[in-house]
Amino acid sequence: MDFDFTREQLMFKKEVVRFAKKEIVPRVQEHDLNSEFDLESFRKMGEFGILGLHFPEEYGGGGADVVTTVLAGEALGEAGVDGGLTLAYGAHSFLCADTIFRHGTEEQRRRYVPKLASGEWIGCMGLSEPEAGSDVASLAATAEKKGDQYILNGTKMWITNGPIADVAVVYAKTQPELQHAGISAFIIEKGTPGFSAGQPLIKLGVRTSKTSELVLKDCVLPVQNLLGKEGEGFLMAMQTVEWDRSALLAPFVGGTTYLLKKCVQYAKGRKQFGKPIGHFQAIKHKIADIRIFGEAARNLVYRIAWCKDQGRPLNHLEAAIAKLFIGDWSLAVTNDALVLHGGYGYTHEFVVERILRDTLLAPIGGGTSEIQKKIISKLM
Amino acid sequence: MNFDFTEHEKKIFIQVQDILTAFLQEYPLDNNSTMVKELLKRLFSTSYCFLKEEENFSAPALMHTMEIIARVSPSLYLSLETNLRLFGLILDTYAPDWMPDFYKGDILGAVALTEETMNIDNDPFETKAVKQGDQFSINGSKKFVINGTVADYIAVVGQLEEHPAIFLVEKNNPGLNISKSGPMMGFEETPIAALTLTDCLIPSTSMLGPFKEATFLKSLRMWENQILMGACLGMMTTSFEKAKTYANTHKTGGKPIIAYQEVAFKLAEMLTLLQTSQLFAYRSISANSKEAESLTLCAKVFCSEAAEKVTGASLQILSGTALSNGYAASQAYLGAKYAQISGTSTEIARVKIGDSALGY
Repeated sequence: MDFDFTREQLMFKKEVVRFAKKEIVPRVQEHDLNSEFDLESFRKMGEFGILGLHFPEEYGGGGADVVTTVLAGEALGEAGVDGGLTLAYGAHSFLCADTIFRHGTEEQRRRYVPKLASGEWIGCMGLSEPEAGSDVASLAATAEKKGDQYILNGTKMWITNGPIADVAVVYAKTQPELQHAGISAFIIEKGTPGFSAGQPLIKLGVRTSKTSELVLKDCVLPVQNLLGKEGEGFLMAMQTVEWDRSALLAPFVGGTTYLLKKCVQYAKGRKQFGKPIGHFQAIKHKIADIRIFGEAARNLVYRIAWCKDQGRPLNHLEAAIAKLFIGDWSLAVTNDALVLHGGYGYTHEFVVERILRDTLLAPIGGGTSEIQKKIISKLM
Repeated sequence: MNFDFTEHEKKIFIQVQDILTAFLQEYPLDNNSTMVKELLKRLFSTSYCFLKEEENFSAPALMHTMEIIARVSPSLYLSLETNLRLFGLILDTYAPDWMPDFYKGDILGAVALTEETMNIDNDPFETKAVKQGDQFSINGSKKFVINGTVADYIAVVGQLEEHPAIFLVEKNNPGLNISKSGPMMGFEETPIAALTLTDCLIPSTSMLGPFKEATFLKSLRMWENQILMGACLGMMTTSFEKAKTYANTHKTGGKPIIAYQEVAFKLAEMLTLLQTSQLFAYRSISANSKEAESLTLCAKVFCSEAAEKVTGASLQILSGTALSNGYAASQAYLGAKYAQISGTSTEIARVKIGDSALGY
């Protein structure tokens, strides 16, 4: 066992932190306050090479391994990038672009991946529905084949990047009677007749990511827009879990480092009873708990990333454990961080308020903690 | 980065497990000195007993081996580890001439650190030695000395003028009084003693130190914390496995209790804490010297608190079965609490971690 990163990986992480602090973080609070997607930062992430980091260079990517890619996610969190933008990045790069790259034809790859890697286009994934979240087999959206076309109908819900996406990977049933095995994936471009996005939802946190429903109403797609083969959709969706439990969780790990720095800064500056509050043991305990959580979470995330680099099939047990731990435990330390800031922490002047709101998604998004427990108890 | 154990390491895990299984068939689980020495003699053939990291046996592999032994008997494990990792470290560093006998398993040692009112991090030792010709005279008292009643030698940590030093005291040394402590929570079979040293004379060659820097004592404390982490992993694994087996076999309402979400989800939470603790412990034991101390403290707090949660949940699932005296899961629950108090207590650890983050 070896838990160390290479020198090159650590240098790259520093570069990402520096980039994010300079180019993204100064606008984070303002965008959060206005619930605005930061397109400028998103495009800069593309220019810097983050959006397509793990794709081969011939598709506009950086050719990085999974661990390095996850490290970039941690670096964004560590720099102070908000959960909304990192969520938008995750949905774009991994749930959409990576699915097209892994399962698309060469023509599909050439058409979409370079544009997504650069940030010229924004991607999203349409899986969840109003009545089907983790219970994927219950998807109601259908894709009926008629000649050389598919007719799609249904509604997708909770779609990160939904209102702003140029391209979506959408899952629908081509053979509803087969349950999981009847699910297929399709690529749908913005402007396709019968395909539309609803109004952005007003959310508690991750406000800079735009979330909406996607509506499919007799949406006609040529057969060329089928991703992979009919019936492979469930497998594709499950494969995105590898990224969901590594690259999408990594910003939480980095965010804990950022949170720690903010708490230390405040505890050293804020004086009560004649001395900085950092000198009180109760405050030290809260700070210690933040560090302990971050260090514990880090190992779980990189275990998944490293296994993916080895080409191993996803260990769903380990993936669910990572999600459950980060989802449930991150809330306690983030709440502690806010309380440590006292009344100031409750205001938008201090970032901990935004971080707590963003973190509240951790035990919900990508499969609730209850679903993770269900998976773990089934597999153990 | 690599999250796998090597094939060679896996073979050692099996070797250690086989030695333990065979040993326990011969010896009842009782922690007398003969038993500990005999087990040590058998384990000395494995990489587990080496005090320095071997090229083909990594620090995380050592931690996993510690966990394997602690699963079988946390008490026996504590005795073995105190001798190997603490007493052995002292000998290896300051009395290398003793090592051949140590590696034969002929010497069983204890380390006497704790005192009635002393906190290793804040206070000087009240146990003091003064030079008398070519001897040292030691006076003081020590508590919670693991292996105290069975050790051939006790490494007594005390004060020599203004610096700490270690005094190797033979078990029959005049002036040394050893009294067996009452059973400890969770580590019932561990031979723990209280010591009184009254004008206890030892030859000057048995004094190690004095230590002008606290580095060596910190190193001892760090190993103590690592040992407790290994104990926690072992106790958590045992508790989890027992609860899982019970949940799969005990029926209520016509179905195994694991079919109820309350039970199944509890097991899921237990496994999450167990695996998170394992990775944390493996990483902390392999940390470079720069971050080793604070990372070990972080991992120790996490593992010992996770152990309390996991063993507590295990008791809940096992219900009345676990409440019978001496049951492994109930011993583990008490042992988890011991692990939070022993070594660097979770409170002191958090203060230190906080200080480190704050730059104090």
